[in-house]
Amino acid sequence: MGAVERILEREFVPADDDGVVVCRCEEITKGEIRRAVHDGIFTMTEMRRYLRAGMGLCQGQTCAKNVKALMARELGVPPLELEHATARSPMRPVEMYVLANEEVAD
Amino acid sequence: MKRYDLIVVGAGPAGLSAAIEGAKRGLKTVIFDENEKPGGQLFKQIHKFFGSKEHRAKIRGFKIGEELLAEAAGLGVEVVLNAAVIGLYQEKEVVVRIGEAVRHYKGDAVIVATGATENAVYFEGWDLPGVIGAGAAQTMMNLHGVRPGEKVLMLGAGNVGLVVSFQLLQAGCEVVAVADAASAVGGYGVHAAKVARTGVSFYLSHTIIKAEGGDRVNAVTIAEVDERFQFIPGTEKRFEVDTVCLAVGLSPMCQLLKMAGCRVLEIPAKGGQVPLVGTRGETSADGIFAAGDVSGIEEASSAMIEGRIAGIAAAEYLGYAVNAELEAAIAENEAALSELRQGMFAPGRRGDMVEFTDEGIHVSVSLLKKGYVNDEEIARFTSASETPGFRPIIECTQNIPCNPCRDVCPRNCIKVESITALPRLNEYNACSGCGLCVASCPGQAIFLVNGDVGGGFANVTLPYEFLPLPKEGDRGVALGRDGQVVCEAWVSKAQISSAFDKTNLLTIKVPAEMAGKARFFKSKGAV
Ligand SMILES: Cc1cc2nc3c(=O)[nH]c(=O)nc-3n(C[C@H](O)[C@H](O)[C@H](O)COP(=O)(O)OP(=O)(O)OC[C@H]3O[C@@H](n4cnc5c(N)ncnc54)[C@H](O)[C@@H]3O)c2cc1C
Repeated sequence: MGAVERILEREFVPADDDGVVVCRCEEITKGEIRRAVHDGIFTMTEMRRYLRAGMGLCQGQTCAKNVKALMARELGVPPLELEHATARSPMRPVEMYVLANEEVAD
Repeated sequence: MKRYDLIVVGAGPAGLSAAIEGAKRGLKTVIFDENEKPGGQLFKQIHKFFGSKEHRAKIRGFKIGEELLAEAAGLGVEVVLNAAVIGLYQEKEVVVRIGEAVRHYKGDAVIVATGATENAVYFEGWDLPGVIGAGAAQTMMNLHGVRPGEKVLMLGAGNVGLVVSFQLLQAGCEVVAVADAASAVGGYGVHAAKVARTGVSFYLSHTIIKAEGGDRVNAVTIAEVDERFQFIPGTEKRFEVDTVCLAVGLSPMCQLLKMAGCRVLEIPAKGGQVPLVGTRGETSADGIFAAGDVSGIEEASSAMIEGRIAGIAAAEYLGYAVNAELEAAIAENEAALSELRQGMFAPGRRGDMVEFTDEGIHVSVSLLKKGYVNDEEIARFTSASETPGFRPIIECTQNIPCNPCRDVCPRNCIKVESITALPRLNEYNACSGCGLCVASCPGQAIFLVNGDVGGGFANVTLPYEFLPLPKEGDRGVALGRDGQVVCEAWVSKAQISSAFDKTNLLTIKVPAEMAGKARFFKSKGAV
């Protein structure tokens, strides 16, 4: 894994626009995402768990592509090399009381 | 668990078409859609569609939606709205949120037609209220009758950005600019041209640096980018706006298919992650099909065809159709599909710089850079003569699959040889000036010119889809293709006709030498 070793060797370099929010639902900034890569977060699934980017109301519908591109750039790999996060039910946010109200028989 | 022969997820053009074909063959069919209105994207699309008769060209999108819905209802398809499908599991178990409950259904076949979602770009201030997706603006205007703002900047010069810009103008908004990081307009030139001629400026190779504001956006700054998409210092332009629309592409929504274990691939040309599908829409999971934008961003016309194929395939899978019928339907639909996938904007040619039309005419560079064909370039395609009598001037300069102008002319004046060929006038001129071609052109690219109406004047008849419609005798100015004032003009006729389907025809009188330039009218009120 050349890319991984390379990223761990490289210092995180702050940028002017690190404060820009990328994941609106969970209010995660560009800088936080970039830094997380240097902390050892190399996959979209890990990123979701680590920062909750893509875990909010829209379930990554808005930001996933941008988070992915950002991570890829930081890792120095083409975005196609990063896998998307796993798709899980519920595909849309559902309130707990609705989830609990399951109508099985019909 | 309630069982259906066929469960369709998504009531857009693909899903409705799939359900129609399934139900026609006797499948007990249900469609779930999370929206409160069926039709998917179609119900926002108030513009006339491209294509040929078979693709329902020149019909407005929402009308196509109404037709599909009526057909589905007539066949007994159950359409359940406000029903978000939240899971798709093994054995084709479909989990749906309906009201305050979660219900489980079993489909012997499942067709996923969930369409796509809008992409976003981030920049300083993009999270301010007033920065919205172009699709959201379209929903606000065309479904809810709400104007998203007064002054709008559109980011994105693809078809979505162009169509929505025009609709913003129709809703009475001021569009301060259309910007795009790409170096050329990505959408159909005719869509760009109808926006540009109203006076909207295009900024290609430009993108947004930042949006400013407090409670909502009140200004936006764009700047030019170089080939590596880096901002070029000193090229900043700031606009006061209350709305910024983002039209930067769509991504297929294939999460349900992933959940069900279908193989997906990431294909940038199709918009992102898409299911691997065969010619009949079948995914890698047994009995699960995909159709429409979910399997690659395209058009409503192709979504309908893919939906039809998937619907028949589902029927065949369940034994309600014989294979020969399926093969025949696939062949027929594939022919229609391949017609749509021809021309300069064909999926395989996306992103290519096309230099010549199929006819060997040098394409308009100004159209790609500024959104309009300039006066010098237009001469390669058409010319207005300064003689009496009507003549259609067809400013259709790209090879796109579309031919209503040919079919609508009662005197066969217009030829469109293959569906993507540029329209040509027949040698003899039998034009009666009926205006049907002007009204039916989905690109609003046809004008009628009567080169000599006496006194050194000419009449130019143009498509006009704005309110209020100027009245006969109104005085104003004619604008050129570039949206700049070219001369004074007087309205000599304003025609409304059901045959024109809400594209009104405005005939303006201009000095004869301006007949080749005057392409839009701005009223100054009655004389
Ligand atoms: C501005 C604009 C202009 C366009 N102009 C044209 C044009 O002129 N000609 C043309 O041919 N095409 C045009 N298109 C493209 C066309 O609208 C789309 O390609 C087409 O609508 C795709 O159809 P679809 O059925 O795949 O998806 P959609 O129309 O997007 O329908 C998908 C449906 O699925 C539902 N859905 C999604 N997820 C779920 C879920 N989990 N549970 C339940 N329901 C769900 C959605 O609510 C939606 O109703 C245009 C698009 C835009 C945005």
